[in-house]
Amino acid sequence: MLPPLVVDSIIYSSAIALLGTGLTLAYMTTKVPNFAHGTVAMTGLYLCLTSVRVWHSNPYFFLPVAFLVGGLSGLCLYLLVLKPLIGRGASLVVLMIATIGFDLFLFSLLNIYADYLSNAFGITSRSFFLRDADFRISQAGIFVVTPPLPGILIVSLISIVLLTGFLHLGLTRTKFGVAMRATVENPALAGVVGVNVNLVYTISWFLSGGLAGIAGMFVGLFLAGNTDLGNRLIPVIFAASIVGGLGNVYGALLGGFTVGLSEILGTFQLQSLFPGSNLLVYQPLVPIAFIVITLLLAPSGLTGVDRKLLLIRLRAVFSWLRSIVHGHGR
Amino acid sequence: MVTGAEQLTIFTVDLLTLFAIYAIIVASLNLEFGYTGLPNFGKMLAIAGGAFIAGFVPGRIAFVLVKVDPGLEYCANNSRVMAAISGSLMVDPFLAIGLFLLTLVIAALAGGLLGFLASYPAIRLRADYLAITLLGMAEALRVIGYNYVPISCGTIGVGVADVFAWLTGPLSAYRSAVIAFVFLGIAALAILYSELLARSPLGRAMRAVRDNETAANSLGKDVVRMRMKVLVIGSGLAAIAGALFSFYTVSVFALTYDRVNWTFIPWVMVILGGAANNIGVTVGAFVFVAVRKLIVQFKHLLTPYVPFDVVWFDTMLVGVALMLFLLYRPQGLIPEKSTFTLSVDRLRGIIIRKTRQPVPRSAPASQDREAE
Repeated sequence: MLPPLVVDSIIYSSAIALLGTGLTLAYMTTKVPNFAHGTVAMTGLYLCLTSVRVWHSNPYFFLPVAFLVGGLSGLCLYLLVLKPLIGRGASLVVLMIATIGFDLFLFSLLNIYADYLSNAFGITSRSFFLRDADFRISQAGIFVVTPPLPGILIVSLISIVLLTGFLHLGLTRTKFGVAMRATVENPALAGVVGVNVNLVYTISWFLSGGLAGIAGMFVGLFLAGNTDLGNRLIPVIFAASIVGGLGNVYGALLGGFTVGLSEILGTFQLQSLFPGSNLLVYQPLVPIAFIVITLLLAPSGLTGVDRKLLLIRLRAVFSWLRSIVHGHGR
Repeated sequence: MVTGAEQLTIFTVDLLTLFAIYAIIVASLNLEFGYTGLPNFGKMLAIAGGAFIAGFVPGRIAFVLVKVDPGLEYCANNSRVMAAISGSLMVDPFLAIGLFLLTLVIAALAGGLLGFLASYPAIRLRADYLAITLLGMAEALRVIGYNYVPISCGTIGVGVADVFAWLTGPLSAYRSAVIAFVFLGIAALAILYSELLARSPLGRAMRAVRDNETAANSLGKDVVRMRMKVLVIGSGLAAIAGALFSFYTVSVFALTYDRVNWTFIPWVMVILGGAANNIGVTVGAFVFVAVRKLIVQFKHLLTPYVPFDVVWFDTMLVGVALMLFLLYRPQGLIPEKSTFTLSVDRLRGIIIRKTRQPVPRSAPASQDREAE
């Protein structure tokens, strides 16, 4: 029913949306773009590899563990590095370079772990495929699905829906969510009225890392896993976040799907338009093009666009086009 | 067999050459981050740009000038083309030196252009947007360089015309030493340039932008223009370093240019040495090049005892050193010195000249007038 390419692009986009949301969650509160976010996600990827190849178990049982491991990595970054630096009044550039330092540290730990896995258990720990560990859906009720859909498609879509629901309910209906939004708006004022700003920051970094861990596990079930995969995903994650407005969690979800679908489906369509060319290899340029276009045209992202102004401008463009067409007609 | 003394010489010469290349990169990053506070997380962009120029320009020019069988494909028969070019450059040192200097000039111009284009979308925005954009642009150039064949023959890489081929006969023994000295000389010029720039009125304006953008703006400094200017200068310098690295390795392969080695490590060197201090960052570059080379050199001693590849110690060291320095010694090994101003005597001289008599346009005092 669904072509494999569409399936792949949907899974990819949901992983990017999860990663972008996590990045945005941490960015909203402390205003630090986390350059280690991709590598934090790779903790989930290697947990996935370990659970499948070493423990011969179903990777989905370990989703809570992935959340915990990723969350703890995010917590380490915030509590051990960023919080002391913020306390000393470090500039934004220094905070960003500190996340890069943590990224290098975590990256070397992952590589050491990967070497350990291949030496101790004799399994492929680089450029590995785990698609075979996933379950397949060949029948849904009375419908027979051909070709069978990978289970990760359903799981990732369900988790996106759940995440959106929980985020919305959490941010609007719980005391913590309200405290968090107050902290985002004005940390000093929130502190004055009794919000524990520090706790809000800590929890948002934990959630950010946890979402990254889950996304890493999803990524492992359909992409070729490697220790540097996180570093390759970083421009895509930032693109998702910037397209969404860098500071709006719903925007990041939207941005993740925009960037992810265009990166895979868009380049494939372009390739089929120009059959002789070799456009598919330039796929990694798509997210970067998104960053550039967004910053040039609408720096506050999709969610920050002034809709009324956009409508007026579009009308002006259309009437201009119509005048050109009519001019040619005469 | 290579004796111990020879091995030591090879090690030292290689160390000095790499140090010279990193010293240029670090001087350029110091102008951007140290003096102006710009988060250039795409340092690799200009370096790779310079390397691509070194892979493209001298080879193509020599291909036309030198008697190479025109039937040969530049990329497909690259090793034969390069052998023919080296054969001609061996007997024509002037052509070789001319090509070398021309390539450096073109690389600097191309690097400046790349720096301008890559930063354009985010130059007016906050530091985090600029950092993300530059990082993404550097990745983009790497992807293009790897896949677009004419630049550096894509996935197979390209040879670089050997502009030191004329060191033949008895001179050939000193080839690597000559390269090291030439590179160290260029590095010294780059550091001198950076220092002079930092002491100039522009340098003081750069620090004003770094320390308080709003105040600098209110005093009439065009902050966006200043950022653009510094990024163009810094990228031009870094592109020279990239071209030199390609001349040293005599080849260009797009995947050599990765974020860790060409963006993050220069950052660590600047922060470890001491941002906004040219001596500091040069010391930082030397310490880091030396330590990393020693780790690679002596990794076989450690390999039997650890169940993983020792190079990851190197990456871990970089990350941990960066975090520890930011936390416990943010000013670096050698902290920034107070701004250099003119001596009281010279200031008095300027005031006397400006108040008593009109100063002619060509007066030697022109360097003292505010250039910005």
